[in-house]
Amino acid sequence: MKFIIQRELLLESLQHVMKAISPRVAVPILTGIKIEALPTGIKLTGSDSDISIESFIPKEEDGLVHVEDIETGSIVVQAKYFPEIIRKLPLKTVEISTDDNYQMTVVSGGSEFHLNGQDAMEYPQLPVLHTDNSFEIKHDVMKEMIKQTVFAVSTVETRPILTGVNMKIDNGEMTFVATDSHRLASRSVKLAEDFVHIQFNNIVIPGKSLAELNKIIDESDDSLTISVADNQILFQTKNLYFLSRLLDGKYPETDRLIPEVSKTSVKVKTKTLLQAIDRASLLAKENRNNVVKLETRDNALQISSNTPEVGQVTEDVITDHIDGEQLKISFSAKYMIDALRIIEEDNVIVHFTGAMRPFILYPENNDHILQLILPVRTY
Amino acid sequence: MTHGYPKNGRVIFHVDMNSFYASVEMAYNPSLKGKPLAIAGNPEERRGIIVTSSYEARAKGVKTTMPLFQARKLCPELVVLKPNFERYRKASKEMFKLMAEITDLVEPVSIDEGYLDITECGSQGTPLEIANRLQQRLLNELDLPSSIGIAPNKFLAKMASDMKKPLGITVLRKRELNKVLWPLDVAEMHGVGAKTKEKLNQLSIVTIGDLAKADDSQLRRVLGINGVRLIQRANGEDERLVDPDSVFDFKSVGNSETLRQDTIDDTVLFSLLRKLSVKVAMRLKRKGYVGETVQLMIRYHDRKTITRSITVHRPIAEVDDIYGLAIHLFETHWNYDPIRLLGITVQGLVEKQNYQEQLDLFHYKEHLKKEEIQTVIDNLTSKYGYNPFEHKTQISTPHPTSEEPTTSFQKDFLDDYTKDH
Repeated sequence: MKFIIQRELLLESLQHVMKAISPRVAVPILTGIKIEALPTGIKLTGSDSDISIESFIPKEEDGLVHVEDIETGSIVVQAKYFPEIIRKLPLKTVEISTDDNYQMTVVSGGSEFHLNGQDAMEYPQLPVLHTDNSFEIKHDVMKEMIKQTVFAVSTVETRPILTGVNMKIDNGEMTFVATDSHRLASRSVKLAEDFVHIQFNNIVIPGKSLAELNKIIDESDDSLTISVADNQILFQTKNLYFLSRLLDGKYPETDRLIPEVSKTSVKVKTKTLLQAIDRASLLAKENRNNVVKLETRDNALQISSNTPEVGQVTEDVITDHIDGEQLKISFSAKYMIDALRIIEEDNVIVHFTGAMRPFILYPENNDHILQLILPVRTY
Repeated sequence: MTHGYPKNGRVIFHVDMNSFYASVEMAYNPSLKGKPLAIAGNPEERRGIIVTSSYEARAKGVKTTMPLFQARKLCPELVVLKPNFERYRKASKEMFKLMAEITDLVEPVSIDEGYLDITECGSQGTPLEIANRLQQRLLNELDLPSSIGIAPNKFLAKMASDMKKPLGITVLRKRELNKVLWPLDVAEMHGVGAKTKEKLNQLSIVTIGDLAKADDSQLRRVLGINGVRLIQRANGEDERLVDPDSVFDFKSVGNSETLRQDTIDDTVLFSLLRKLSVKVAMRLKRKGYVGETVQLMIRYHDRKTITRSITVHRPIAEVDDIYGLAIHLFETHWNYDPIRLLGITVQGLVEKQNYQEQLDLFHYKEHLKKEEIQTVIDNLTSKYGYNPFEHKTQISTPHPTSEEPTTSFQKDFLDDYTKDH
């Protein structure tokens, strides 16, 4: 194998596939990166068997030459050293070659590295997805969907299914739901006309996979192709192939847990509320659940927090309107801040149904986003 | 009956380390011995405050809580050190170890003082002999001076340890109260601060003797229940037991038990776990605490010991909850080697009324049902004046509060001092 490649491009691709590589894997060869020189370009692969990422660098793109002098072949090199070496090489181009003993030579300017590699034949084959269940979505929409839900997945393994995001497609609408059982985030989007026939219900994508995917795909209106089959989900762009295992098990039914009636409705400036909660939480950091209290006033919400050892704080947030019953409720400032942060609209609507019941938030004039928070019970 | 032990009644030690932080520093660096030494919060800052000082410094008038600059004025050659808590913690652990060799009934009060109940220690010698030996060991093995008070109860033992410092051993007998204790100013009494002294003085109570003869109802009016307690103490009465885990309250409640013989018989092991869960739940209930973490300790036949814990986001206090989590830990972590000892501890304790519970999306409806039942119970309770569904009345235990101002650090060290019993 031999090729000469633009260093920047190689580095970017390496960073992508590194997202899938973990130093702690059951199969030792997976701590390495697979490099394949094909007649059409260079393919890099990284995998921890939960996530597998392939990044392709075409020989030529838009009239630009990225890779030259390709002699086909393949090798697996240590992920611990290879990317760092490429990062620190002196020139814009790198020459990479291998010999019959799986030795890799990296040359750039006057520096020459020899790395021990492994036979690429030993590297596990990535599963090939056979499915007709494919659909497309714009990069930036996908990134939004991820950002607005993935923070709410559970980070503890007590109920593994909750560490994932539930993807549902019904009636041409795709919905992401994530909950750690203390709060829930949901976001939906209309799919393009071509995909109305697609129907999914119990697809649960590990939160970690989506977080990594979000880091790799760029903010653009290019299309991302999503395919689902046999416990795997594949996200594909022009030069990227991102495969993730799906979580086993049934995702709990969450729709019926979302309250439909409201006893107290509030409309308030998103930013103002966010900042007030943020300030109140300064004193709440010491207490276990980071609890702040909210109390309805005539035309305001009173936000307060009291930690006996530290001090107390009170702040009134003027509302656009408050309808319904008087209310006193306590909740985690962190959950509230997480929920308000992803709302970009100026105004947020909050529906409460009592001090011991979940309450919901959504942006004014936007029913594609829903955030739900369970209160904290104080004795 | 061994000489020196009363027929009925107890023998209590109060062991008080002399200028503990300073003594520990001198033990580490003997060249400091004999020099005026102070430990201060922030030696670089002029306004740092003296935490403690050696007797040489005290002789020059240096006092605890005095600002540094004032201390330097009184004693220009004063050596000032920053507190080194790791050292104090280690020394404290060692000193409580020596005490624990005498009896299990050791109650640590703070990092540098504790009570011992040696009523049952007759086989080790007279109280005076035991005290002498303990003081010598503390001095020879740890290079730390102490004062020991010997008396029939905690209060008198505490007063006695105060009477001769450093390196004193003082016996305070009830029949000597009128000669030894009563002539003292009330402010000398443990539990009487500046405010209380002022109030007492207004009632013309100046000495501890005056307090002993004071009028019950009058003091109750001025000082509340504490007033009555003070009169009892001035008369040498104090029923408080030496409670080895009184200071553990805020951190954890745990029990462990050594099996009759090493075993792999799971019926025996499960029934011991059940028994320990019942004990821990009872103690939690008595203290009115709930926790979120259950810890299991397994000691194998070869003394290899593991502890494993699980934290849940709900209040743990009931037997079944504790037992359920302990069983879960046991089944996950037992390696099927013969077991010598099992222990269960509930940690992360908070008073039940201060517990905040994050509600759960999948269970809040059950919660609401319980809530409705509770509302009914509360209504009936207020109607009848008692809870018709409760079998046992709440046992109120006096809190081990504020007799002694203890910092959280002073309590932290107790984590090191866990022992099986």
